[in-house]
Amino acid sequence: MSRPRALENIRVVDFSWVRAGPWATRWLGALGAEIIKIEWPENERGRLPSTTTPQNLEVNLNTSGNFNDTNVNKKSLSLNVRSAKGLEIVKRLIAISDVVIENFSSRVLQKWGLGYEELCKIKPDIVYVSMSGYGHTGRHHHYTTFGPVAQAVSGLTYISGLPDKPPAGWGWSYMDDTGGMYGAMCALTGLYHRNMTGRGQHIDLSQMVASVPLVGPALMDFTVNGRRSRRPGYPPGNRAHWPGTPLANNYRGPTVAPHNAYRTHPGEYNDWCVIVCHSDEEWQRLVQVMGAPSSAASPKFAAVAGRLQHQEELDEQIEAWSMTLGKYELTERCQAAGVRALPVQSAEDRVEHDPQLRYREMYLSIEHPALGIHKVQSAPFKLSETPTTNHSPSPLIGQHTREIVEGLLGYSLEELRTGFADGTFWPTERPRFPYMEAMLQ
Amino acid sequence: MSDAQNLPGPLAGLRVLELADEKGQFCGKLLADLGADVVKIEPPGGELCRHIGPFLDDIPHPERSLSFWYYNTSKRGITLDLETAAGSRLFGRLAAASDVILETFQPGFLASLELDYTSLHQENPRLIMCALTPFGQTGPWRDYLSSDLLHMAAGGEMASSGYDEADVPNAPPIAPGGGNAWHMGSHFAYMAIMAALVHRTVSGQGQYIDASIHEACALTTEAAIANYIYRGEVVRRQTGRHHAAGPTPRTQFRAKDGTYVCALVAGRLNPRYVRELADLLDSYGMVGDLKDAKYQDPAVIAANTSHIIDDLVADFIASLSAEEVYHAAQERGFTWGAVRAPEQLLDDAHLHDRGFWKEVEHPELGHSFIYPGEAAIYNGSPWRISRRAPLIGEHNTEIFCDELGLSRGELSVLAESRVM
Repeated sequence: MSRPRALENIRVVDFSWVRAGPWATRWLGALGAEIIKIEWPENERGRLPSTTTPQNLEVNLNTSGNFNDTNVNKKSLSLNVRSAKGLEIVKRLIAISDVVIENFSSRVLQKWGLGYEELCKIKPDIVYVSMSGYGHTGRHHHYTTFGPVAQAVSGLTYISGLPDKPPAGWGWSYMDDTGGMYGAMCALTGLYHRNMTGRGQHIDLSQMVASVPLVGPALMDFTVNGRRSRRPGYPPGNRAHWPGTPLANNYRGPTVAPHNAYRTHPGEYNDWCVIVCHSDEEWQRLVQVMGAPSSAASPKFAAVAGRLQHQEELDEQIEAWSMTLGKYELTERCQAAGVRALPVQSAEDRVEHDPQLRYREMYLSIEHPALGIHKVQSAPFKLSETPTTNHSPSPLIGQHTREIVEGLLGYSLEELRTGFADGTFWPTERPRFPYMEAMLQ
Repeated sequence: MSDAQNLPGPLAGLRVLELADEKGQFCGKLLADLGADVVKIEPPGGELCRHIGPFLDDIPHPERSLSFWYYNTSKRGITLDLETAAGSRLFGRLAAASDVILETFQPGFLASLELDYTSLHQENPRLIMCALTPFGQTGPWRDYLSSDLLHMAAGGEMASSGYDEADVPNAPPIAPGGGNAWHMGSHFAYMAIMAALVHRTVSGQGQYIDASIHEACALTTEAAIANYIYRGEVVRRQTGRHHAAGPTPRTQFRAKDGTYVCALVAGRLNPRYVRELADLLDSYGMVGDLKDAKYQDPAVIAANTSHIIDDLVADFIASLSAEEVYHAAQERGFTWGAVRAPEQLLDDAHLHDRGFWKEVEHPELGHSFIYPGEAAIYNGSPWRISRRAPLIGEHNTEIFCDELGLSRGELSVLAESRVM
């Protein structure tokens, strides 16, 4: 008998698609909520287009690797919510659910007749989390985002890069990941509040607005001190401070050197490590790890002011040494001596070479009916009493339609068959997957 | 809405003890701004984060750190030396009456003081304790030192971020700034704490949470892991846009004012998109040949992708300010944005409409300052900054005397012996 999960008996109606919304419900699912993903193949976004289908498989609605990782722990109901019958069915589902979550543009659910007021009539204490680009209020609520646009408009892109170069930005949709985190955080907070007070609510999350608190100290430096981020030496690459520019804190901890990325042996694309010394003592330890060459032991590097002043020379000396070692060996030597150092890790490094992630079982295999057995990312926390391990692969599209419509909502098998015939559960013109035919037997 | 403004936040009534430095103070802020009574317990003299700049008027002082101000809103603050017997006893009494403890000490530190979860839980079975640490409580890296930069390296953020060779030859992988490794860890810790709290509303039982910042960062690179697991591909870094297994067209363009625009065009170029793009460019007299009927043929579009992006879109954006491109494009349904420096957000009308900026009073300075606000609007239980960050030991009397029942004399003795 498996132990109950934290969100046992919580049911979530999940209209979300693409990445941010599904990343939110993935975690609610890991925590034990029943996630019912409402999907329609004609306007599906998340399964297709797929750039992560294994080379030996056909690209179709059920073979995206990234979709699989983003949608573990969920069930799929294929349903045309834009039909009167589909809308009626989804309302019956909402009536027995705790949370409704979606990441459409700001007016979509309202247009379907599922705005918050309507949801309340169906389920008075519903927790409704909308995850739109700009939120449901404000003059630009109709603007749209993808992660990179939210990052650009909020200042997150600008704070990443080398001075006097174009912004490097974030090499992925950080705000799809993080927007998803906030979606889950809002749902959990709303659920806690509901359990304590008996009242649901609409929580209006905006991907663009959620990005802004992540540049807090830079904003405070402006609102309080009037200092702009558009200034010489900012952003300072991987450094805490860019040499030759006015000394100022650059919002990543203390202003220290060394604080940089250095090449390691054998000098391939991801052969880099980072080293940071927060104090003169840590610097002295690094000098010892480096074998105490006279150049590094020079008094001009002894105090942080000198290291900041001579940072170019300092970094050259460290890199001359770091290039003689592999990044994992360098990490072990530094950390054994109490020096802050870690390798730059690619995805391959994390999955195959990171001893900590392996020990903590970050990537465990799950079998998916179409993709086969693959590793899936685990939760970054362990709760002592309630498991958070992934318990099921991502659903095939419509895989749980019968289970939900017949088993949960109490429709008859005949009604299910009629719904398939009239385009409520699957487009009439579209070929059905074999498991759908089996479902109708 | 005006009625809702007077309602308590969703976490009203929760008591949280925060024993956190830079790693977890943001998690404490997330809880505090949503209404929890977060009591920050600092060592006598104050938490080291108070020495992180920038500082008010650039004058370093533990009460003038803007970083500390930002990450510690809505909290109360007390000082306590946990390593003294008296301090440890007082902490035990606080823990017995609390819902959540958030701690970021090195693994094993609290256990060495007999303040580990097992001990505290015996006195308070409803207690939830979250340890948010660089690598978690177990494993070969458990005791490794870290920093924001170190987490961005090992977590994979750096391997995904950087420059095209043509833009910056031999560029290093770049760690995005702002201390976001701590944000990633704090988001997941918040999620775990809330899940445990929801569970407690049903079970009545608390539990222990072991959260790892390294794992949080390793989880936050979108499809990089899936690209490797399903296709064996390792992604490359590109200027201002997604990592990819092979080169993709640029999405960041220089505007007339020298700032940049993020314009996601490649991958979306179908005949309808081209028509709408032509209308947008045409309204500024920059349409070039894009209205030519040949561009309604997908094959012609595909053959001319570089012309459309690198000539027409690039020239259009170069002719206007980034803000003008942003709004003109969005009003026509294009998912584009200006790459803004943080200070530009103070002029954003949409944020003002949503009441995003908060004026926070600093009574000891006789001044109010503008703070960033909430990620999400909780319509039934509002987010709010209830007070500025605590001064060192500001609530010692309130909490130790008024709530725990110590006399003023006892408090003085404890202060003199540097327990607080």
